[in-house]
Amino acid sequence: MGWQKWLLLMVCAVACTWAMVKAVPTSHAGQTDLSAHVTSGVFTTAHPTAAQAVRDFLDFHPEHPVQPIAYTHAVHLANGLQCEFCHVGVDQGPEAQIPGVAVCMTCHIAIDTDKPEIKKIAAYQARGEDIPWVRVYNYSDSAHVRFNHAAHIRAGVGCSTCHGDMTKQTTAERKVDLNMGFCVNCHKQKQVSVDCETCHF
Amino acid sequence: MERRNFIKISALTGVAATLDACRAPDKQLIRFIPEDNLIPGIATWKPGVCTLCSAGCGLLVRVMQGDAEVVRNGQRGLMKMGLAKKLEGSPQNPVNAGKLCARGQAGLQVLYHPDRITHPIKRTGARGSGEFQEISWDDALKEVVSHLTALESSKAANSLAFLSMPLSGQRHKLIESFLKAYGAPPAVWYEPFDEAVLRQANLLSFGHAALPTFELGRADYIISFGADFLGTWNSPVAQSIGYGEMRRGRPGRRGKFVQVESRMSQTGANADEWIACKPGTEGILALGIAHVILSEKLAPQGAETRAGSQIAGWSAGLPEFTPEAVEKQTGVSAAVITRLAHEITQSGSSAAIVGGAPLAQTNGHFNALAVNALESLVDTGRDQNGNLRPILGFTPEPPLSAAEEPAAPAQASFARLNSFAQSALRGQAGAPQMLMLNEANPIFSAPPATRIGEAIARIPYIVSFGGFIDETSVQADLILPDHAPLESWLDSIPESGSLRSMVSLAPPAVSPLHNTRPMPDVLLGLAQQLGGDVAKALPWTSFEAMLKAALVPLRSHGGSVTAKTDDDFWQSMQTQGGWWSAPAAAGSKSAPATLSSATAAKHAPVALTAPEFAGAAGDFPFCFQPYVSQSFGDGSLAHLPWMQELPDVLTTAMWSSWVEINPKTGERLGIQQGDLVEITSQAGSLRVPAVLSPGIAPDLLAMPVGQGHENFGRFATGRGANPLSILAPVAERETGALAWAATRVKLTRVGGPEQAKLVLFAGGMSGFPHEEEPR
Repeated sequence: MGWQKWLLLMVCAVACTWAMVKAVPTSHAGQTDLSAHVTSGVFTTAHPTAAQAVRDFLDFHPEHPVQPIAYTHAVHLANGLQCEFCHVGVDQGPEAQIPGVAVCMTCHIAIDTDKPEIKKIAAYQARGEDIPWVRVYNYSDSAHVRFNHAAHIRAGVGCSTCHGDMTKQTTAERKVDLNMGFCVNCHKQKQVSVDCETCHF
Repeated sequence: MERRNFIKISALTGVAATLDACRAPDKQLIRFIPEDNLIPGIATWKPGVCTLCSAGCGLLVRVMQGDAEVVRNGQRGLMKMGLAKKLEGSPQNPVNAGKLCARGQAGLQVLYHPDRITHPIKRTGARGSGEFQEISWDDALKEVVSHLTALESSKAANSLAFLSMPLSGQRHKLIESFLKAYGAPPAVWYEPFDEAVLRQANLLSFGHAALPTFELGRADYIISFGADFLGTWNSPVAQSIGYGEMRRGRPGRRGKFVQVESRMSQTGANADEWIACKPGTEGILALGIAHVILSEKLAPQGAETRAGSQIAGWSAGLPEFTPEAVEKQTGVSAAVITRLAHEITQSGSSAAIVGGAPLAQTNGHFNALAVNALESLVDTGRDQNGNLRPILGFTPEPPLSAAEEPAAPAQASFARLNSFAQSALRGQAGAPQMLMLNEANPIFSAPPATRIGEAIARIPYIVSFGGFIDETSVQADLILPDHAPLESWLDSIPESGSLRSMVSLAPPAVSPLHNTRPMPDVLLGLAQQLGGDVAKALPWTSFEAMLKAALVPLRSHGGSVTAKTDDDFWQSMQTQGGWWSAPAAAGSKSAPATLSSATAAKHAPVALTAPEFAGAAGDFPFCFQPYVSQSFGDGSLAHLPWMQELPDVLTTAMWSSWVEINPKTGERLGIQQGDLVEITSQAGSLRVPAVLSPGIAPDLLAMPVGQGHENFGRFATGRGANPLSILAPVAERETGALAWAATRVKLTRVGGPEQAKLVLFAGGMSGFPHEEEPR
């Protein structure tokens, strides 16, 4: 009788949590809450809200978050831009730069200045603000894993291997599930180290 | 379901549901456009200069892109920018050769401190109430200029006072030029532990009014009188490197090290032999050793001509200082004195060092001259070619145009502070009407009997440049916060630590986080607005331009930077972190200059002078010795939590104050480890926890300086007690320097450990754990 009660309680608890996480909208058009940071004294900059903390804790991320600017990768790639043009540093360091206002405005100071999305970027620049892009790919802190872009680019791994075919995407979507199995499979195929400390250090 | 997820979910369900209400979208921070162009995840190392003590070590600053929470245009937000992440010593720098001490590491926390003043503020409440409101830079500077012009037009320019912590290099020059051109008296450079006594003595003994540089790495025998040269004294990093070389760097040849002091310092704990002597009698002991050397003719002929002439009776072999007579005065046995004299002369290269408490007695000058005389007698080591090559040397001045600086040492800062306070208190003509304050905190660090707090309160208008509110800057009417050192152009001329002449230089390592402005640029801007002589004396538009104008002429002197053009030279000097001369060739090393006859004539040889103490021995049975804390210096670093967290090397105490008491004294007075005791002097009393330490004389109490702040940010305020607050205002007789070790106190137990706050690392000192453990 004891364990049935506990089981019932646990099922309820799980259901509640799941409902809560699902119920909290994971993206808001034009809003910036996922990338925004609050120092309310309760949460650090890593977790703007309690719900976000729970979602991070459970590795629950939206697969296609709504971005502040309705950017299209497809159009830019079709026009001949290379990934590294905006994602500077991908071949030099662990992280790739998420481009800011300054990068966009190098071209859009002259191109398509009358389009509403470009006007939004110009307005950010006028206010001295950067675009609050929403992060799409990331590992949770509890995974304790480190990834270095430069090493993979040097080894000839294409961007699309992990990020999907960007020529078919508007704003970035998480098309590839970057779990440990995914990494290890590729490392095995290419006969590179699968020691724990290759990634977990 | 996995067990892991089960636990996660069950733990979080309730909590998360409750806290989800806490989100506050209006607090969400915006992101600002980054200022720097950096590659994420890639570190760059930029040169820097450490400003946490006066040694002037060179830094490498690890700068990486990061998110800083900043305010821009009145909005709070996040900025991606290059941020300093870690400090290391610069391997090229001749002083610290890639090493950095614990204190230097905490330079980062000055930059990111949450209590930093982030914009100019103007006093709104009563003086000292700490009520300020934000003011724009334009309005603030207008206000300062109007005060300065008002003083000038009422022919009272000489009533502008400038009170600063000691600065070296172009900052020092800038302030002095500004004051001179404006018509104000020279700045008061205040620091409680200044080395005025040693500089004066070195001028007389060796012809250099500077701190000494000992090449410890070449020594075979070192006797140090009170100098904590591995912890806090002079240039600790350079000395630690040399010490390591002396002890373990030369296989088969390990130098011996003897420390003479009454309270065991970190340096004393490293010594082969630790000799306790009565406070203030270190000079007598040095002359006792010299007596044996002279009477037994242990030293080479002619060695006694230099610093010895400053001591009365030297040429006669110091007849008063027989080992037996010295034993009576110092408490060190005659046999030990004779043995030390033999050891020191039989070793290859020997040196005697003096520093710290022996100089902070009323007879500090005598102690310094006496040890200098011993040093000149024993430091007769030779190099491979048989040339005389002493361990002691002096850093040559860099060949800058500022050579008009007088050779005489600056007046002791305590004497200057005293006359400044007196003039403000008298309030007659010429009394300070306006004070510019730059990171000096005499209200905390001067004995209360100087009445410096009262004197500062009487000054009608005070401008402060410091980046933090402390006991003194809270009195200011206007605060124009300076950049943190890592955000500023830095230069430094190390006084010691290397035998090359040196100028350290570093451009800002990071962009400014807050709405602050560098003090030198503010002064240059004020000079331009004042016009006239001041603008003519300081024609530069920025401190960078001033530095460039002053330092580029070094190009003609060769040294570490070679460049074809001035601009190239300036760039390379910034990349290298400074300029230093080529290493001196062996044998050509600065031989101690002969005394000019003028200086020698002014000073008759000094005879034995005994130390005097404030307080009768009957009423106040203990000598009281505050000592410079390795973490906090004179207390100006107590606001840094890393320094608070750093366990004291000998007691492991942290985040607190304590007094060191000999266990025998403790037993006699019924005081146990951690008990609350009261220490009373003529000037006041304080309460601190007791630490029973075998490394202290039974009639001495010692306390680290730095805690006991009343108003110095969230980490230091209200923590511990300030030993400087019970010092009697005793001055060293010759120089007027603060004799901080010349106060007598009494001691009473007032409570148990539950009333005292003593925080010890790992729960206790465990003085002799290996003696109690079964083997």
